[in-house]
Amino acid sequence: MNGTRASVRLSISSLRAHKRRFAGTFVAVLLGVAFLTGTLVMGDTLRASFDTMFTNANAGTDAVVRGADVITVAGETRGTRQPVSTALVKRIERTPGVAAAAPDIQGAGQLIGADGKPIGGQGPPTLAGNWIDDPELNPYRLAAGRAPAAPGEVVINRGAADRGGLRIGDTTVLRTPDPVHVRIVGLATFGGQDGMGQVTYTAMTQADAEKYLTPKPGEASAIQVRAGPGTGQRELVDALRPVLPKGVEAVTGQAAAAENRDMISGAFLGLFTTLLLVFSGIVLLVATFSIHNTFAIVVAQRTRENALLRALGAARRQVVVATLVEATAVAVIASAAGLAGGIGIAAGLQALFPAVGFPFPDGSLVIGAVSLLLPLAVGVLVCLGSALLPAVRAGRTAPLAVLRESAVDDSGASRPRAVTGLVLLVASVGAALGGTLAPSVWLSAAGAVAALAAFVILGPVAATYAVRTLGAPLGRLRGVTGGLARRNALRSPRRTASTATALMIGVAVVSLFTVFGASLKATMNRTVDRSFAGDVAISAPAFGAGGSGLSPRLAPAVGRLPQVATAVGLGKGVAEVDGAGRALTVTDPAALGRVFDLGRVDGSLTGFGTNGIAVSAAEAAERGLRPGSPVRLTFTDGARQDFTVRAVYDRPELAGDYVITRRAWAPHRAQDSDSLIAVSFAPGVSTADGRAAVAKTAAAYGNPDVQTRGEYAESSAGAIDMMLTLVYALLALAVLIALLGIANTLTLALHERTRELGLLRAVGQTRSQLRSMVRWESVLVAAFGTAGGLLLGGFLGWVLVEASAGDTAVAFDLPPLRLLAVALVGIAAGALAGLRPARRAARLDVLRAIAAQ
Amino acid sequence: MTTTVPISEPAPAATPAPAARVVDAVKLYGAGDTRVRALDGVSVDFPAGRFTAIMGPSGSGKSTLMHCAAGLDTLTSGSAFIGDTDISALDDRRLTLLRRSRIGFVFQSFNLLPTLTVAENITLPLDLAGERPDREWLDTLVDTVGLRDRLHHRPGELSGGQQQRVAVARAFAGSPDVVFADEPTGNLDSRSGQEVLRLLGRTVRQTARTVVMVTHDPVAAAHADEVVFLADGRLVDRMPDPTAERVLDRFKSFAPHPSRRR
Repeated sequence: MNGTRASVRLSISSLRAHKRRFAGTFVAVLLGVAFLTGTLVMGDTLRASFDTMFTNANAGTDAVVRGADVITVAGETRGTRQPVSTALVKRIERTPGVAAAAPDIQGAGQLIGADGKPIGGQGPPTLAGNWIDDPELNPYRLAAGRAPAAPGEVVINRGAADRGGLRIGDTTVLRTPDPVHVRIVGLATFGGQDGMGQVTYTAMTQADAEKYLTPKPGEASAIQVRAGPGTGQRELVDALRPVLPKGVEAVTGQAAAAENRDMISGAFLGLFTTLLLVFSGIVLLVATFSIHNTFAIVVAQRTRENALLRALGAARRQVVVATLVEATAVAVIASAAGLAGGIGIAAGLQALFPAVGFPFPDGSLVIGAVSLLLPLAVGVLVCLGSALLPAVRAGRTAPLAVLRESAVDDSGASRPRAVTGLVLLVASVGAALGGTLAPSVWLSAAGAVAALAAFVILGPVAATYAVRTLGAPLGRLRGVTGGLARRNALRSPRRTASTATALMIGVAVVSLFTVFGASLKATMNRTVDRSFAGDVAISAPAFGAGGSGLSPRLAPAVGRLPQVATAVGLGKGVAEVDGAGRALTVTDPAALGRVFDLGRVDGSLTGFGTNGIAVSAAEAAERGLRPGSPVRLTFTDGARQDFTVRAVYDRPELAGDYVITRRAWAPHRAQDSDSLIAVSFAPGVSTADGRAAVAKTAAAYGNPDVQTRGEYAESSAGAIDMMLTLVYALLALAVLIALLGIANTLTLALHERTRELGLLRAVGQTRSQLRSMVRWESVLVAAFGTAGGLLLGGFLGWVLVEASAGDTAVAFDLPPLRLLAVALVGIAAGALAGLRPARRAARLDVLRAIAAQ
Repeated sequence: MTTTVPISEPAPAATPAPAARVVDAVKLYGAGDTRVRALDGVSVDFPAGRFTAIMGPSGSGKSTLMHCAAGLDTLTSGSAFIGDTDISALDDRRLTLLRRSRIGFVFQSFNLLPTLTVAENITLPLDLAGERPDREWLDTLVDTVGLRDRLHHRPGELSGGQQQRVAVARAFAGSPDVVFADEPTGNLDSRSGQEVLRLLGRTVRQTARTVVMVTHDPVAAAHADEVVFLADGRLVDRMPDPTAERVLDRFKSFAPHPSRRR
């Protein structure tokens, strides 16, 4: 044990002597851990706040009566249920144990703000419903004004009022999707907050809600029930069960609140935190390479010291332990600082969110044990894991190494390394190709991981060639200074490669997303190009669950314009086909064929009636359907209906997989709306004229956007740009850590070359020549990392695009300008990383540098 | 300090004019109790076309004298000249430019950049200055140091003696006014050391160059045209046409002061 104590003492004295060397490691661990902690704490805090909010809001509801059958379509967060009859309310109220019951009507309704623009709709839902007078059953509380009593009167949530600049007494329009003129008589809060997150809510009288939000009066989405004194939620549900008709169920208020909460947590928080955790992972991966590099260099620089220790009788284990103890000390201190930083980030965001209009629920930060222990463990593990190899290498130092002068290290470019790397590279390309040809996500993922590993392994081999090539113009441009920079970057290919690897991974992820985003956009453009044969489109901003769609009366109104040949509205429906939830396109199939290019169509698009259906070729092949085949659909109201396939079409991109008529859907629908209206003009009508005419008509229906084909494609892709911006912001941190790594490695390498720098200065290198030499070396290393990252990112992007394509045809797009920008940022970042080491190196005293050991 | 003499002014042609000299050179290190007087009013000329050795025991100030004369270090008071240029008046940039155009260096060890070939190491000062090397002169130098077959090797592939010979070639490559050598044989075995010393002497005599060498080895000093003795930071003697025995005898008369190292 004494031996270990000696090791610990050694490492502590070494740490104290070389605090600077570990600054980079420290910062890398700190940032990674802070990011992870911040994510976890914020996730927990949000989840807890939503918990409290839902529990408070629904505290008075003891049971919810609702349709038993639910149809869930892939990609939607919440299933669709059959409505229940409001006549049930009377029967429920007579049931023993029930204190009160109220129908709850829920639908979509988008408010227009004082500036004429819709409020919200960019993600969170825009809800409308009936105002429930029993305050115990209503999750909303009146904060000002009064409840709606007359037709056209509404209460809206305070958050929506603030955002839309609406006040009590104002009149505005509610799109349901038909424009309804409403007067605001009250403002409401939800669970003590201005709203349920960003969700907007409009409550009308029950009569209005039934009129605008349900297909026919006398129906409600659910019935909320309050128990009398002494009746528990379970007992209440048990008591209700016998009085409910078939197809209607009762669940406890707690269960319903939990479902709501899980929906928000699952859909919004889940996605949000997963995204952040993935980026924490990337940041930590980049940090790992940075840290590993620092330790590798420190150990290399300490070869003589370690050899002396070994010569004096230190056991191999003691040398290893000394290095690991150093790593642990750095890891623990940096992780602890990271924890504090992460909690600070979460607190900052909690303060910042409300300021940018996102009501972050009140309540103190929730800091769970996991949020503390996990980042700490990850920080220490990353640090120790990165230091392990260098430590073992330190232990292997031969005692004789004391006598050896350290020279240029050209290890790393070994043949086994080259062979292993190449084999992996070939395997990764093979796996990726295989994953594309025979769609398999696992095979593609294996290919991606193998590619990453191959790039990391091949780094030192490629470094020599790449730096030589990239640096070739340097000698000509910058003379001997450039030449020296190039030689320095080449002198240890392994070190150059591992320094560049951190940046390579950062740049790879950036280019991966860039390529993926561009490909999605290209696909969207091509889809619109190929499939949209109309002139203009009217589309509801349909990003996320927001908005209320387009009025079903708009398409006929536009169709009556003299400038318009065809105007066809497309609505959405759901049904189960062979037990699986499927989205339906509800439209006029014959007209659809005139504005969409459906590709090859087998059968006819006319004469569908109430039992005709058109199916996409892919779906038809899967289910063995041909024109004339029978197919059974089950709707949310439990109705089963047999349809006959009238047509099979090739291109489902815009039309969806199943098309039925409005008349066939009408009996099963809840709120009637279109999500897209495709318009083609009469011959001889210019786009500008036609568009103006259509826009004029649309103005009366809540003024939705009228877009040309190009604009339509672009707006469909708008969400992608938003996502990319967020991704870039998150990845900036990873790139920052990579740069710190380059700066740190450079500082350490320069320290190693002190005597060389002294010699150069003595024989006549000016300070500015020396600075320029260091900067160019940094730029070369960064250029190497950036080039590798672009290659790797491009390849991974291709794999991702192909893997996510499935059956549908996608366009793979390499956006040259954006990738060029990524490359320039990477290289400029390299120059930036070299600034400080260059300044420090230029300050060296010539004599002392020459005399340095 | 103001610069009055442009650095590009050529060295005077008159034979007795020194290639380098220091006047009343004082160099202090540290402060208070730990203050050390490394040079204590030294004035000495290094004549052009001659090979001068600076000798003295450890701590006599001989290395400091050379560093200050060569512009690698600055004097506390007094002045140092290369030709007619007062280098104590130059800023870092001018000093650097002067070093690369008018001074050559040979250090005790680590004279070469490991990343450059022998040929590139030799022309490094010229390359840094962006000047075209004089091919003929380089050829002469390469032949003199006898490394023609090693021009494209890396320093790591050469012996210590060969590396020092490359350093000598580099020091003379730019035809400097004066070459300073700091214990150039300190790290070599006696045979390699002899070769390097003979090379320095030959180059001075055959091509009329100026060399100033610091050494504590009487055998090395015997290769010089004249030996300058330093003790306790003062110039104590000069000996023309030295031999090893005479130098050793003279050397024994200075007892080193252990309290005044440096």
